[in-house]
Amino acid sequence: MATIGAHGITARLPAGFEGRIFVRPATVGVTYPVGQFATFPIPDDIGDFGSGAVTLMGPSDVFSTLFEYGPESVGTALFARQGRPDALTESDFSPMTLRRGIPGQSGTQWFFTESGRPFAFYAVLGSHAQRAVLVPHVNTLLSSLTLSPAVTDVPAARPRWN
Amino acid sequence: MVALVIGSTFVVLLLGILVAGLLRSHADILRALHDLGAGVGDPSAAPAPPPVPVTFTPPAGGPELGAAPAVAGVTPTGDARAVAVDNSDDFTLLGFLSSGCTGCAAFWDALQDPGRLQLPDRTRVVIVTKGPDREIPAEVQAKATGRVPVVMSTQAWLDYQVPGSPFFVLVDGATGRKVGQGVASQVAQLTELVRRAEHDRGHGGGTRGRGDTSLAGPAREAAADEVLAAAGILPGDPSLYPRTLDDVFPHGHPVPAE
Repeated sequence: MATIGAHGITARLPAGFEGRIFVRPATVGVTYPVGQFATFPIPDDIGDFGSGAVTLMGPSDVFSTLFEYGPESVGTALFARQGRPDALTESDFSPMTLRRGIPGQSGTQWFFTESGRPFAFYAVLGSHAQRAVLVPHVNTLLSSLTLSPAVTDVPAARPRWN
Repeated sequence: MVALVIGSTFVVLLLGILVAGLLRSHADILRALHDLGAGVGDPSAAPAPPPVPVTFTPPAGGPELGAAPAVAGVTPTGDARAVAVDNSDDFTLLGFLSSGCTGCAAFWDALQDPGRLQLPDRTRVVIVTKGPDREIPAEVQAKATGRVPVVMSTQAWLDYQVPGSPFFVLVDGATGRKVGQGVASQVAQLTELVRRAEHDRGHGGGTRGRGDTSLAGPAREAAADEVLAAAGILPGDPSLYPRTLDDVFPHGHPVPAE
């Protein structure tokens, strides 16, 4: 079981999962951390919400994204939920929730605020027909995440020469 | 006057001894660096190192190499990355490289250029360096092209008992076990060994159906059950147990389309 952590997000990955936590270089504006986790090899050049990856999924696979939004989203209606979802059920997944409709797959998406940070959690099941088996994997992944308060880059906190 | 000459001679002798000692210690350091594989001067002008025998353990008939753990660490840019080697039917080739070893230079280029490397299809390449505690991320970043994952993890070097760089481990994703490991001095040797491993495993693909949208096995059965239930055909329905062709085709036999 591997543990990875960066940018205030730590994941103790369940068996079979791999993942990455990164911040894309900002061409315009500011970018925020993204966590991607999957039960299949994650290509490096995929979109934040899995475009380019979900087409590679097998029926027994799971893909999920934890996407942080800017602090201006805190307190808005969309992120009113406090804390990540837990104990997702089969009915939480629907083929209509997919960002890109792929026959056989289904997804779920949640917006919430945790540790003062606004997030979206998006998960895709490789086969909606196997959701009874796959949803517990998503729940295990969700429970493995630790979301810390955002780290503010305070100049006084930076290391300095004596 | 005599005392001055004696004193000067003594000082000159003392300085000479000091200089000789410094030269000797410097030579020892250079010799040790050379033994560790660190180049001195212009690498392009240096003669090519003698070929090292390949000790890549063949996948068939070799000793059991054990399970392959996941590789988790950070990227040269400070992001986090974990690579599971048991979550596909493909091979994963782990290349344990260093930013400073002269023997690694060719592999840094080759492993990040799949066309040049000519590895078998569906072979995933991951480069693993030691962690930021042992490597300078900026130097690793300078060698990374972004085409393959580069993970900095000292723990992975310990997990895989890497004796030094370059070192390679081939993992069969279908079993999650190492099927070969060792060193290679030339890229072509590494390619051939991976091809041999794939050939020894045989063709026929894996069992996960990755990249194939059709369902198979239990998934296909579950999907069929779901569609039948939605149509009102439940377990035990008489239509599931035809006795004659007329039960299947009550309106006559269909004509196959051309």
